[in-house]
Amino acid sequence: MAARRARHSKKKGGAAALLLVLGGVGVAALIALLGSGVLRKSSVRGLEPTAHFRIADYRKDGSRFASAGNSYVFDGRVENIETIGNDRVVCISLADNPDERLPLLVPAQVNLRGVNLTRNDRFIFQVSCRTGTTPEGEQVRGVLVVNKVEIP
Amino acid sequence: MMKALSLLSLTLCAAGLARAQMVVPAQPAGQGGAMPTAPSGFDASGSSVKPASNDPAHRGETPNPQLLGMEIPLLDPASDSVSYNGGRFDVGNNAAVRAMFEKYLQQTPDDSTESKRYRDLINRILKETQKSGRDGRYTIGSGSLVNIGLSLYEADKYPGDGGQSGMLASSIVSAIDVQRKNLQRDKQSARLMEEYNKHIERANQMQNASQYRKDGRSIGGGKKGAGGGGGAGDVNVLAIAQDVKQAAKKEALEAANTAANEAGLAASKVNYQSVLISLLMSRRFDHAVIGARVYRHVYKDGDTQLKMKKDSKASELFTGVAGMPPTVNAIDSLASNARREVDQSIQAVYNMLAQNKLGEATQHLIEAVAIGEYMQSVATFPMEARQRIARYWTLRKRALSALNARDYNTVEEIARKMKEMDEDFDDSLLLSYTAGKKRQSDLALRNAFKALKKGDEDAFNQYIQEAGIIWPLNPQLEQGAKQLVQYDEGDAEKEEFRRLLELKSYRRIAREKERFKIVNTDPELAKKYEEVITLVMRMDGMLEQIRSVAGQDTALGPCMAYEKMVQWQKENEDFAADSEMKEALHEFESLAHDFVQALRDAAACEERREFGSALSGYYRAQCKYPHSELAAQGIRRVTDIIVRASYN
Repeated sequence: MAARRARHSKKKGGAAALLLVLGGVGVAALIALLGSGVLRKSSVRGLEPTAHFRIADYRKDGSRFASAGNSYVFDGRVENIETIGNDRVVCISLADNPDERLPLLVPAQVNLRGVNLTRNDRFIFQVSCRTGTTPEGEQVRGVLVVNKVEIP
Repeated sequence: MMKALSLLSLTLCAAGLARAQMVVPAQPAGQGGAMPTAPSGFDASGSSVKPASNDPAHRGETPNPQLLGMEIPLLDPASDSVSYNGGRFDVGNNAAVRAMFEKYLQQTPDDSTESKRYRDLINRILKETQKSGRDGRYTIGSGSLVNIGLSLYEADKYPGDGGQSGMLASSIVSAIDVQRKNLQRDKQSARLMEEYNKHIERANQMQNASQYRKDGRSIGGGKKGAGGGGGAGDVNVLAIAQDVKQAAKKEALEAANTAANEAGLAASKVNYQSVLISLLMSRRFDHAVIGARVYRHVYKDGDTQLKMKKDSKASELFTGVAGMPPTVNAIDSLASNARREVDQSIQAVYNMLAQNKLGEATQHLIEAVAIGEYMQSVATFPMEARQRIARYWTLRKRALSALNARDYNTVEEIARKMKEMDEDFDDSLLLSYTAGKKRQSDLALRNAFKALKKGDEDAFNQYIQEAGIIWPLNPQLEQGAKQLVQYDEGDAEKEEFRRLLELKSYRRIAREKERFKIVNTDPELAKKYEEVITLVMRMDGMLEQIRSVAGQDTALGPCMAYEKMVQWQKENEDFAADSEMKEALHEFESLAHDFVQALRDAAACEERREFGSALSGYYRAQCKYPHSELAAQGIRRVTDIIVRASYN
């Protein structure tokens, strides 16, 4: 009796441990999924990044990003807007890394579909890294150019 | 006796010549000295002196080495000077007089028994010469002359007499001897004249008798030619001729005696007078007075005129100095006056010492000693009083030495001491003179230093030399010497200064600014020196200020300081080259590491033309320090490039 009771008890303990392990794995998978999703893709519908973007890598070698031809999606708050002619350079702080700043070129020809970029407001930006040429014929590498903007 | 007198006569001649060489004409003080601009001297009382030229050429006189060519030392109270050999000078400033006076001050007063006896003898002789007859005139009889002679020989035994009494006695004896010989010759001449007269008378008688016989024969018709006409007449003629011859012989002998008398008398007078002059010159005034008074009684012809040429220096001397004709009486007068002057001076010395007037007492004692060294009042002057004057005299001597050496500080110190010893001492001459000279020297030094600052070495040397000549012990001369050494060493310093200027090593120049001060002798380098020192001071001020401001905010302060220093270094390359500025920049760079690194990363990206990354970096830097001008400039610059570019 006692042995049965012990065996029964033993079976009950093993199942609890299994549940605990499974639960932990599930939580970890969920955290990983949530953590990586910020930069890879917006939680906003319709704007999907084609590649992973690390700001440290961008600063180190912006040209590599330009040659890759990828697009990236950033959720960020507009900190500053420089308007030169019809073009604008918008500086945003990332939602998950407010100490960093990313300058985004918003060319005049980009159709923002009625989105009005204002300071201190959050927007979702789909950008691509490009290399341009100045009128003097000199290269301008690794410039993040806005393709689309949405309000989160 | 005659032999002894002859010997004495010879001694007299030798003594006369020796005495004639005793007085050496002294050089007036202040002449031919090393310092022509310095006062020629000052007397013991502090008053100035007027040294007279002793150069015979200046006086239009020719030096006379003869016996009477010597000056008699006489005091001129008007100028506190004594005349020697035609020159007048302060007795206290004459080397010979000084030496004599110093010797005198150290001598013990002669109060021995022998000395007293000697002085008694001399006084007795002087009284003997003043004996007056019934008519009130001074007369010296034969007895008195003998007494005087004997007393003089007695006085001669005293060592302090120096043989003067013996010399005078010998002269008197010699003169008497000559007189005696003359008397003998006179007597012989009288006899000769008697014989002469007899011969003449007999010749006349025979001549008359012969004439009578001749006249008788012619009247009586006589026995012409019989047995001897004219025989007796021939005898008479021969006899007359013999008498005339004898008369002429006697007359000639008498004339020879007269001539010998005159010659002997003249020689004797010259001899005697030379002794008198010698005594006067050797300042044996007692003996000179005795000799002069005896002279009138030895030579009773009334001729007392000194045998000297009318235009001779000696003649001018007597008439010029004393205003009297050159007679033995003048010697008496001069010697008597000198005796009186000396006695009065000594009396004055006693009075002044009693009033503590050491300066004037010293001056009067010098005069008394210079004139009457052998006078009784001088010889017996007490030792205590001599020592008091000696102390004052030593100070005065030191003052003169210091003055000659141009040691003006010592002169002033001595003047103060002399003033302490004698309130009446007039130190104004010394003090004003030394003050003037010191100022003159200081002024020359000031000019020298100014010349050195201008780099004018020649002028510097000239002024330094001038200052040294005026006041050799000027303490500032040492400073001048140091500056000169620095100036000489300054060439190396200038080279080093130029090298450091090229290296922009201003800090080192500022650290060693004392060393490099010498470059101020070069106007161009002096300007640079000033600029460097000002620059370093300015940088120090800026650093102090920025450290103070940066310390107020530990987060943003270092960022601000770093950016400010970068800005300064861009604006002024001297700041960029300064070690302290560099050090401060590193310090703030370390404190504001994130900000600085963001700027550097951005700049590196900009360099690689990765303008997107660069702009990101500048914005990041701006996050660290929102007021960053460097970040703002970078943002503006890169944004402009990004916007201007066209993208595919």
